[in-house]
Amino acid sequence: MLKLEAYKKVIVSATVAASVAVLAVGCVEDVKPENTSSTKSAKVAIDGGSVYPVVNGKTGPYYAPEQKLAHHLNYGRVPNAAELAAWDTDLQPVSELSPEGHGIPEGQGSVEDGEELYDAKCVMCHGDFGSGGGGYPALSKGNAEEMHKTLTNNRWKDPEAPGPVRVFGSYWPEVTTLWWYIRDGMPHPFSDSLTDDEVYALTAYILNINEMSIDGEEVDDDYVLTREKFLKIVMPNVDGFEPNIRGANALPGVRAYFANAKNFGAQNLNQGAVRCMHDCQKATAQVKHIKFGGIKDFTPPMSTVRDLPAKKAEKLDVKKTYTAACAMCHDSYLAPGAPEWSGYTANGMDEVYAKGMKGTEGGMPAKGGTDLSDADFKTMADYLVSGKVK
Amino acid sequence: MAKKELQEEKTLARRDFFKKTAAASVTALAGTSLFAHESAGAGDPAIMNHTKWGQAWGDPVDKFHYGQPSPYEHNNVRRATSLLSSGNFRASIAVTPIHESEGIITPNGLFFSRSHGGTAYVNPNEYRLMIHGLVEKPIVLTLAQLKRYPSVTRTHFIECPANGGQEWRGPQFNSVQFAKGFMASAEWTGVYIKTILEDLGLKPEAQWMLAEGSDNSKMGRTVPVDKVLDDAMLVWGQNGEALRPEQGYPVRLLLPGWEGNLCVKWLRRLEFSQEPWYCKEETSRYTDLKPTGKAIQHFYANEVNSTVTSPSPEIPWTDVKEGDIVEIEGLAWSGMGTITGVDISFDGGKNYVEAQLKGLVLPKSWTRWSYMYKIPKNFQENGKQIILASRAMDDAGYIQPTIDQEVSVMGVEAVYHRNAVETWEVTESGKVNHVEIRSV
Repeated sequence: MLKLEAYKKVIVSATVAASVAVLAVGCVEDVKPENTSSTKSAKVAIDGGSVYPVVNGKTGPYYAPEQKLAHHLNYGRVPNAAELAAWDTDLQPVSELSPEGHGIPEGQGSVEDGEELYDAKCVMCHGDFGSGGGGYPALSKGNAEEMHKTLTNNRWKDPEAPGPVRVFGSYWPEVTTLWWYIRDGMPHPFSDSLTDDEVYALTAYILNINEMSIDGEEVDDDYVLTREKFLKIVMPNVDGFEPNIRGANALPGVRAYFANAKNFGAQNLNQGAVRCMHDCQKATAQVKHIKFGGIKDFTPPMSTVRDLPAKKAEKLDVKKTYTAACAMCHDSYLAPGAPEWSGYTANGMDEVYAKGMKGTEGGMPAKGGTDLSDADFKTMADYLVSGKVK
Repeated sequence: MAKKELQEEKTLARRDFFKKTAAASVTALAGTSLFAHESAGAGDPAIMNHTKWGQAWGDPVDKFHYGQPSPYEHNNVRRATSLLSSGNFRASIAVTPIHESEGIITPNGLFFSRSHGGTAYVNPNEYRLMIHGLVEKPIVLTLAQLKRYPSVTRTHFIECPANGGQEWRGPQFNSVQFAKGFMASAEWTGVYIKTILEDLGLKPEAQWMLAEGSDNSKMGRTVPVDKVLDDAMLVWGQNGEALRPEQGYPVRLLLPGWEGNLCVKWLRRLEFSQEPWYCKEETSRYTDLKPTGKAIQHFYANEVNSTVTSPSPEIPWTDVKEGDIVEIEGLAWSGMGTITGVDISFDGGKNYVEAQLKGLVLPKSWTRWSYMYKIPKNFQENGKQIILASRAMDDAGYIQPTIDQEVSVMGVEAVYHRNAVETWEVTESGKVNHVEIRSV
């Protein structure tokens, strides 16, 4: 039953990629590694870093008694089938090893139903057609294949150039990620509230606004997404990531990738990097200052003064509270005094108050996610509906 | 003098003192000595006068059943900014005031706080941890059962890989709290996952472990078994007490040195599999897009890094003068090993000298470094304002890159894992500005 020994062998067999010859350019100085009395192993971890095996009862500086237990501890219990089914609900993508993926449920949903759901539960944060909004991510910036081409955009040499577009259609390598996250994490204030068919419908709609196709067929406005079709989705950026993590023998490749500092922009003194001590900069080196004063809207404001805190104002500041807690969604949906409020106030303000305090399916968290008193919340609701501070 | 008169005089003097101190603390920032009045012979009122707290009962010992910082420390707090306010501050971050941090441990209340669906408040009595998949024996544990395993205690930092990630294209934050405070450090207590697996038996085809949280976002990440069988821990203790809710109470995953995002909080499930998962936060985010158009996924470790923490834009050198000997202090850390040395530069990285490490030097831990420095006239050397830079090395051989070196491979769109040398310019008045040195 104890299979760990086999693993340990695999791990320690991963060695550093052949060390690169040190290029004697400029100022090479003696590297004096201090404090190397640690019990660091000569082996390299999967991340390219140090390993500290237990040697003489210590790992690095820590005492680590390795007690061989005579028998098993047998804590806890085996979960039953119902418990496993309740929690083992993750999705894994279709792959060579798993042609059906893992955990992808039966079900279906249409683009049409998805759009309706989206407009009811998602648009207030993610914007029209997934265009994004204050503080919430965009879901599309147009045609997925076209957006995918922007991933080589890099504002390194030209800060004014367009940057890469990293949204679902252009960047995400697997569609299972979208389905899984919608079901478990969305809508953000009310997660775990959608049916599988609703998740298929929303997925269909998001494929639609990303102008994607499945198996050569365009996900148009009449498209109905089923599990079978879902299994055939290939994302434009499916091969856009390194190192490879797919397949039955992926780990050696991951180890090799991080054993080479050049792959991830690192400098390693054992792989030819130089610890320059004198005259280390190019003549073109420039000091870049923060532009336009930089970002300063810190909460609370920056201060290092040691005085007694000001007494907190008890009075509700309507405008401030709106900006801090409501504006992110309400600026684009049911803004203060917006005419659309008339659709909600027909039964009087008490119903508006009650719904707002409880939270709504439309994405409004209970009391907008604030800890306002009922009275203060009602004042805020009055402001939202009327656009006027009383 | 009558007793009453004496008392009045004392009261007046004290009022005067408070006025003066208030004024002095303002002028001190402008470079005037707080002790200017000593030469006048009156003596420092802080010495000459009785104090409020020295002449009356203090609080009873049972006033606070859980102690609080001095009210005077109310500005030593986590801070947030609207730039990073996603999800109404529920998919957001509040950062650690590292300009006020002492030593290599962050107090639990100041530990940076990052969540993807808000801070969850888990009922420990309803806490369950399920471990299943490619194990010989799947189990479900209560919190009490988990804590029965033999525990280990380790000091490690946790760092958001986006620490400094807002500044790939240029400096934005004139603040060390925001430029480098997406991290904190604690002494963690928990159990090695390999200890539990000795009991459960891991199947040989297992390559990956899913760690899943129970929070609103069901935050999940895929972890290679190499780490699980090396130093991965399930922790319930933070600096001698239970984890704070912001740190995943009652149990979080701790992968020493790796992305904070991988250290899944409010942990409820570990599943072992032959194939990886593609969770949302390991593809849509937490991936480093290179100029080639390819992105690094599974970028595990926070690489070797350092910064000056004193002076800082927050606590500058406006109260020191030419000839003063001051300690320049900073932090160095590496998720890939143990810090072996730190070099310091006064010309923005053109020339370096060695700084000194101090205190405990532990693997994958914050490490303090120090350099005693004589303040030059107008904070200038060779006719130029000094620009402080620090460059750390670790025992895996890694050394911090320059910005040019890092950008030449990673471009400027990577968002995460930016560990290039940081630079801090000191102005003629002793103010400190965050700057970047670039040749491109």
